[in-house]
Order: sequence, then structure tokens, then C-alpha cells
Amino acid sequence: MKDKLLKTKYFFTISAAVISFAVFAPNISSAQTAAGDPAMPPIILEISSSRTLSGTAGDFVEVHGDIKNAASKPITDVTAYLSLVDTKTHMPVDLEDWSVEKGLFVGTIGGAATLPLDWKIHFVTSGDYALSILAVVKDYDKPIGSAITYFHVAPKQNLNPGAVLPVALGEPIFLAMFFLAFKYRRDKKSA
Amino acid sequence: MHKLIWKKDILAEIYTWKSALWLLLTALIYSVTCYLLLTNKELSLLDQTEMLWLLGKIIIGASLLVAIIDASSLITTEFEQETIEDLFLSPLPVRDFILGKFLTVMSVWALMYAVAVPYVLVSSAGSNLSAVFLAYAALYGTLLIAGFTVLVFGLSFLYRSFKNTLTTSLVLFLAAGIPALFAATLKTGIVASVITAINPLDAAFASLDNVLVDYHASLSANWPYLLSILGFSAAAGVFLFVSVRIFEKRGVIKE
Amino acid sequence: MQSNEIIKMNGVNKSYGGRQAVRDLNLSVAKGEFFGFLGPNGAGKTTTIRLMTGILKPDTGEIEISGKPVSEKSHRSDKIGVLSESKGLYEWMTGREFLRFFVSLYGVKNLNGRIDELLAAVGLADRADSPVLSYSRGMKQRLKLARAIANDPEILFLDEPTLGLDPQGQEDIQRLLKKMNDKGMTIFYSSHLLHEVSRLCNRMAVIADGALVADGTLEDLRRQTKKEDLRDIFLALTK
Repeated sequence: MKDKLLKTKYFFTISAAVISFAVFAPNISSAQTAAGDPAMPPIILEISSSRTLSGTAGDFVEVHGDIKNAASKPITDVTAYLSLVDTKTHMPVDLEDWSVEKGLFVGTIGGAATLPLDWKIHFVTSGDYALSILAVVKDYDKPIGSAITYFHVAPKQNLNPGAVLPVALGEPIFLAMFFLAFKYRRDKKSA
Repeated sequence: MHKLIWKKDILAEIYTWKSALWLLLTALIYSVTCYLLLTNKELSLLDQTEMLWLLGKIIIGASLLVAIIDASSLITTEFEQETIEDLFLSPLPVRDFILGKFLTVMSVWALMYAVAVPYVLVSSAGSNLSAVFLAYAALYGTLLIAGFTVLVFGLSFLYRSFKNTLTTSLVLFLAAGIPALFAATLKTGIVASVITAINPLDAAFASLDNVLVDYHASLSANWPYLLSILGFSAAAGVFLFVSVRIFEKRGVIKE
Repeated sequence: MQSNEIIKMNGVNKSYGGRQAVRDLNLSVAKGEFFGFLGPNGAGKTTTIRLMTGILKPDTGEIEISGKPVSEKSHRSDKIGVLSESKGLYEWMTGREFLRFFVSLYGVKNLNGRIDELLAAVGLADRADSPVLSYSRGMKQRLKLARAIANDPEILFLDEPTLGLDPQGQEDIQRLLKKMNDKGMTIFYSSHLLHEVSRLCNRMAVIADGALVADGTLEDLRRQTKKEDLRDIFLALTK
């Protein structure tokens, strides 16, 4: 009986340890990684608007993210950047026209605190893209990045925006007909 | 009597298809430009003010080019067709001759401006930019075309040849146009300031940028640019005056 | 200047293009005269007409038209009409439009009436509304004549008016000119065709190499050259 109880106690102890490890390992590992690599800041970045990011060229969308200080002490001079790559051409995208603020100066994040990150971006060209957020901290040599979010921008199809077609087609046709009528009238008069 | 010359030349413009073809061609250019601006995947995402500024440059540039070609032919063809002698054997004063021809070119500009208006309205739909844009386009277009027309007339009296007048006029147009095409960011420093001060086309484009992009729409904010264009027109007027004096001294039939 | 002299040139000299076009020219034409001005090509006939109408200024000498010195404004006087040798037509216009333009320049009253009168006088009434581009050479010349007399001038200067015309065209022009002269118009007729000038003109002058070589009636020229044949007279005077 005593042996059975002991075995059961050992079983639950070991199971709890395994489950705890499985749940907490990533954090522990990243904390250990961060803690293990003194050059990287103890920051966790997430993009929270990954499901709502896709749209059509010309759309203005908001990218929401969170930046979390995984350490207990505050971190100062934090700046977060957007990074965008065209997955078809495998080329980075110049964010000049896409976003007014490519870099956000976050400043200080208190110990274990989380702050929101928001960017307004303009879908300039259609295509498939990969987006991530990078953070750099003054006292740390290396940056740290979020997981990558993939999204699609559909092409803008508009054959007659702002009713331009009636003017673009109509005016040259009208002018041509006007002058032809003028000439016809004159030729008839002279005949 | 200038009205007789004006009427004769306007009818010539229409019946000989001169202006008719130019109006048609510029309408086609505006059509393509507007359509591209509004439908092209990247161009249509331009800020509306930048779109109008681009359209404004095209309207003024195309109209100026047409005016220069027209003005180059108006007086020189009278020499080449040998109608000048009969004109000056009549009681027609030189002053009325020039004024009538000048009004012809300005009438062609007025028609080209009227053709451009629907395109501007379509491109600026939804904004409150059309009125200020149309006002400044009318002002600068009129002043530029008046100045260049007077300059070309001066060349016509000196050369008495359409080919020579047109070649020289186009070179002058290019000399004015090329610096004006440079982006504002490239034009810094004292050399750029001097170019804007003496180049009427550059001054007009810079002012349109000031009005549309930077929202400085008052005349007082654009006075330096207006001054540059007025200065050019005055200089062109002096050149025409001197050319006409030389023409009168040499005679209708070149001695 | 004698009271009936309507054109007078005294000691007129003109050079341009590096050559002496007119040298020491003395000439007078009486009012109402049909005066012929003869000479070979390049003799100075056109230059003389341009000097008289004020298109060109003489280097030296005096020119008077209707008793007044010729100045740069005189060629815009409504007292003279000129049919020059230049092409001078707006071919996109119709004949009527062309005359309307020039008649308007002279400020003629009763515009439409005057245009119809001119078209009828030169025989272009039935082609008045056709473009000038479609006119024959003779018709174009007649249209230019109509323009030259649009202001009903006192003096009509004609520079080779029948050049390039067929015999019928020449006859039509000459008949018309005779009619106008009979009504009192002074006609200064410049040509290199002696037979034409001798038939039409009361008096003639002959110019060669810029200088006057003869002045008088046909009989005077015959006496001067001792020749009978018109061609011989012309060659003798102009060689």
C-alpha cells in the first residue's frame, strides 16, 4: 500500500514537472535566451491584427501590436520598427509611401509591462507580403523581432473612377465631331 | 483694324485645321493623363494635390508649346506667302497687325483652357481644390503664353522665316522647361533660386506647388513668382519693340 | 510739279543687295494717263513701283504722289491701289471672303454692295464662294486686281498684271483696265511686253539696268531708235 502511494506521488510529481516545463519552456527559454544572450533585450513582440490585415490597394489599415517587457526591471529607450517584404519578389518594400511613421519611439517599458503599438499603413501596391515588428533598445546590441504575419493586398480594379471615362472619351469625340461638322458646312457652302 | 486681323486668323486656324488638330491632340493627351492618374495602380494613389499639380504642369506645358508653334507661324507665313506687302499697302498700322495676331494666340489658349476644365473638375472631384487650381492655371497660363507670344513675334519680325523662328522658340522653350521639370528637392541653393527668379516656367510650376501642395493660395504668398513671370513678359515686350523698329527700318521688303 | 502731274520722281537712286537697282531716275505721270513702264527682267521696274508706293525708301531723290512727298504712311493712303507681283493670296479663303477682308481694311461703306460690284467687274461673281485654292491663275490675278481697286483709288500701280495669263485672260484684264482709265483712274502699268504696253498706253518710259533710256509715245520711241518693229525697238533701247 505504502509502495503504491509512493509510486502514485512520484507519477504526479513527474507529470506536473513535465507539463509545467511544456507550458513555461518557451518563456523560460526566451527569457533564458534573453538572459542567456546579454546582447538581446528581454522583449516580446506580437502582432495582434494579423487576421484583419488583408485588403485592397489604396486601403488604409491599422497594424496593432504589443510590446512586452519580459524582465522585472524597466527598459528604457525602446524603438519599434515595421519591416515589410514582398513574398513574391523576395524583395523588401520601401515603406516611404506605405507608412508615415516606420519607427515608433516607445521610450520606457516598466518591469513586466505591456504597451500597445499602432501603425497606420497605406496599401500602395497589390501583392503578397510578410510583416514583422523589430525592436531595438539603446543598451542592447541586438534587435529582437516578432513572429511574421502574412497578408494579401488585392489589386484595385476600377475602370471608371471619378466618372473620368465620359470626359476622357467624350471630349475628344465631341471636338472631332464639332470640327468635322464645321468643315462639312463650309465645304457645302463653297461647293 | 486689329479685329479684322484677329477674325481672319481665327478663321484660318479653324478652316486650315491648325488649331482644330492641336485642340484635339491636347484633349487626347489630357484624356490619357487623367485616365492614368485615376486608374493606374500606383499613380492613382497619389495625393490629390500632387495629381492636380502634375495635371497643371501638363496643361500649362502643352498649351505653351502649342502657343509657341502657332505664334511662330502667324507672322512668318505672311512673309512667306507674300501677303505682307499687300497688308502693309493697306491702311493697316503695324500696331494693329501685331495686336490682332496676339489676340489670335490668346484665343487659342482660351480654347485650350476651356478644353482642360472638365479634366480638372474630374481629377479634383471630392476636394475643394478645383477653384483655386483653375484660377492659378488661368493666371499663369495667360501670363506665360502672353510673354512667350510677344517674344516669338519679336523673333518673327527679325527672322521673317517660320523655320528659324520656330527652331529658336523651341530652344528657348526647352531652356525654360528642362529646369522646371526638376523636382523641388533637387533645386536647392543659390543657383536654383536664380533659375526660379529668371525662368518664368519654373516660377509658375513652383507657385502651383506652393498653392496646391503647401496650401499657400493667396496672391501675396505667390508674389515673387508672379514678379518673375511679369519681368519676363516685360523683357519680351522690349524685345518685340526693338524688333519692330528694326523691321520698319529694313522695310516690308528686306533690303 | 506741274498741276496735272500726279506722279513725280526726281533724281531717285536706290541700291540694295549690293547692286544699284535704280539710278538717277526722273519720271512724271499726268493725271488720268495710262502710263506704260517697260523694261527687261531685273531692270528695276518692281523697285520703282515699290519706291513710288513707299514700300521702299530711296537712297537719294524725291518722289511725290498727288503733290505730297511719299513717306512710310503714304503707301497706306486710300488714294493708291497696287497689284504687286507677289503671290499675296489667302488660298483657304473664298474669293468673297478675301475681298471682304481687304475692303474692310479700307473702311469702305456698303461692304456687301462694293464686294458684289468688284466681283462682277473682274468676272468672278459665279465663283465668289469657291476657295481661292481652286482658282486658275487667271482667276487669281483677277481677284488680286479686284483687291487693288477695292478702295477706288486715284492711281493704280500694276506690276506685270498679265504674267502667266492666257490670251483670253490678258484680254479680259486689259479691257477692264481700259474701262477704269476711261473713268479717270491714272494707271501706271509695268511690264516687259512692249506689244501690250504699246496697245494700251498713251505714253511709256523704258528702263534698263536701273536707268531711264526712253520716255514718250510709241512714235517717239520709233524716232529715237529708228526702228519700226516693236521687238527691235525694245532690244535697241535695252541692250
